[in-house]
Amino acid sequence: MTADQYRRVRDLFEAAVEREPEHIRSWVAREAADDAAVRDEVLSLLDHHSRAGAFLSQAIVEAVPDLLADEPLAADTKIGPYAIVRELGRGGMGRVYLARDERLGRTVALKALAPHLVRDANQRERLKREARAAALLTHPGICTVYALEEFDGDLFMASEFVDGRTLRAEIAAGRTPSIPTIVATVRELGEALASAHRRGITHRDLKPENVMRTADGRVKILDFGLARVDAESAGAGSTFAAATLPGVLLGTPAYMAPEQLEGKPADARTDVFAYGVLIYEFICGVHPFEAGTALARAARVLDSEARPLDERRRDVPAAIAAVVDRCLRKQPADRYASAVEIVASLDRHGPVKSPRRNIVWWRLHQLTVIGLYFLAASVAWKIKEMRGNAIALWLFVTLCLIAAFVGIIRGHLVFTERMNQPRLAGERKRTDRARLAADLLIAAAVVIDGLVLAPITPLGGSLTMALGIAIALAAVLMEPATTEAAFGD
Amino acid sequence: MDPVDLDALAPRVYDELRRIAAAYMRRERPGQTLQATALVNEAYLRLAGAGTPWHDKQHFVGIAARSMRQILIERARARGAQKRWAGLDRVSLSESLAVAGDPEAMLPALDDALERLARIDAEQARIVELRYFAGLSIEETADALGISPATLKRRWALARAWLFRELTS
Repeated sequence: MTADQYRRVRDLFEAAVEREPEHIRSWVAREAADDAAVRDEVLSLLDHHSRAGAFLSQAIVEAVPDLLADEPLAADTKIGPYAIVRELGRGGMGRVYLARDERLGRTVALKALAPHLVRDANQRERLKREARAAALLTHPGICTVYALEEFDGDLFMASEFVDGRTLRAEIAAGRTPSIPTIVATVRELGEALASAHRRGITHRDLKPENVMRTADGRVKILDFGLARVDAESAGAGSTFAAATLPGVLLGTPAYMAPEQLEGKPADARTDVFAYGVLIYEFICGVHPFEAGTALARAARVLDSEARPLDERRRDVPAAIAAVVDRCLRKQPADRYASAVEIVASLDRHGPVKSPRRNIVWWRLHQLTVIGLYFLAASVAWKIKEMRGNAIALWLFVTLCLIAAFVGIIRGHLVFTERMNQPRLAGERKRTDRARLAADLLIAAAVVIDGLVLAPITPLGGSLTMALGIAIALAAVLMEPATTEAAFGD
Repeated sequence: MDPVDLDALAPRVYDELRRIAAAYMRRERPGQTLQATALVNEAYLRLAGAGTPWHDKQHFVGIAARSMRQILIERARARGAQKRWAGLDRVSLSESLAVAGDPEAMLPALDDALERLARIDAEQARIVELRYFAGLSIEETADALGISPATLKRRWALARAWLFRELTS
């Protein structure tokens, strides 16, 4: 479009917006009859003008006030006794920094609370009260709050610095956690939450972003004593209202319980719901009420049931599936009264069998059998060399082929168990018969080899036959036993 | 506006605007909104008194609007606006824009669109800076650009329609 054409478009558009809407199109068509490009451009702009709604109607600083004021602190900035080292992250509550407490010479996480939280004196008081309560929580599974301090009108919360990554990052990485990791996570989180509930302290914003896994594999809940104030200041009702706007992606209430979405008061049972959602998502990587938009998800939280956890992942211990199921009930009264009951329920199901110890036998079995294949193949080689006849040669070739085939299958199973556990049950089932058949064939070949060898050295022949029988017994007796110990089937 | 002038002065305007905004955020009462124009005015009063070489207030307002645009876009980018923007599909995108749903998310895209608009019609882009980023009223914007409020209103409508189309297509 040339500059002249653009000027014409502009003038026509400006004249058209002043006219009666019903006559605009025909008017534009008449005015720009000689230039279709100009006409189409004007009509397109008029069309978008009519659909633009509130677009750009409120100055951005007024629409998002914290955008301008939200200035990160530079390294070495002194905040009271704290010296900023670097920024760790940023959330709805404000920015979090790694800082050094110069009085005590220790490293802390320093959270600069967003100005909207500290504006109001009542809110400030409540925050302080919450922080004092949270500071009483000393549990290995809870990030310890040290102090809530005010410097120059701004509130800062100093807490233990937890080095690690959040469960959100783990979920996003897409690797399915192993059963031992799940069992440990479910229990550690349950116990940490229970220790707070026992003191009457609720979290109210439990979500994967708020749970850290430290370098040594333990989990810690962050932000006790903060979320509650935030939720109240925003007002559960208004948060939901915001979530109903199409495409609005402010801190989505993804972990809110039905009663929170309805604006009713929250208590420990609300945490129980969030715990259920979190564990569910951690185990299978999908939010139990997954839906395209925040609104659709909220609607599902309110009135549709989550697909049972053990349908998504069959190898999840029944006790855990049952706990999650009960956490996700719509009615608070149907859930556990607090995390204390979750822990009690986990205990009642007996310490969830730690599959780690049992699976070791299964792995050992797989690796030993692979070792036996090598032994059988080298024995067959030796016999072929000693006898040098066609039978021994064919036995050796057959044995090698079958052993390579079934050895690879077993290696694949061990790998799947380590790296891709959810598929293990299926893979085992798929290869069950093939493994048994292959083992028996190998055993038969070795026994025949023993018979071939016996005329030369009776002792060698007997030992070879014994090896064949051992392979057969391992397949028939030991494999089912180690499998049952590891997977319960 | 002299671009050399702008480059030299913009950082001071930046700093002043940020400082004032942070102070506003702290003392603000709930329910009260931050007035972008008040911010620009206060920055002007502070800097004009300090013997800075503004030609006049209009000149200052132009620089302030450009600075606001830069600061806010920068900040929105730092806060991951593009990612949220990319997460919106076409339908929810146009709905979201029409209800001014998540204005922060659209800022980087708006910035790019404004660059394109400035190449076609520089005045249109300045109108958007003054209205949207500095929060000036129709009258103030018309005054800053030396055109009549009625003309300004129509040009603003054109700029909005053009940008809306850019962002939704």
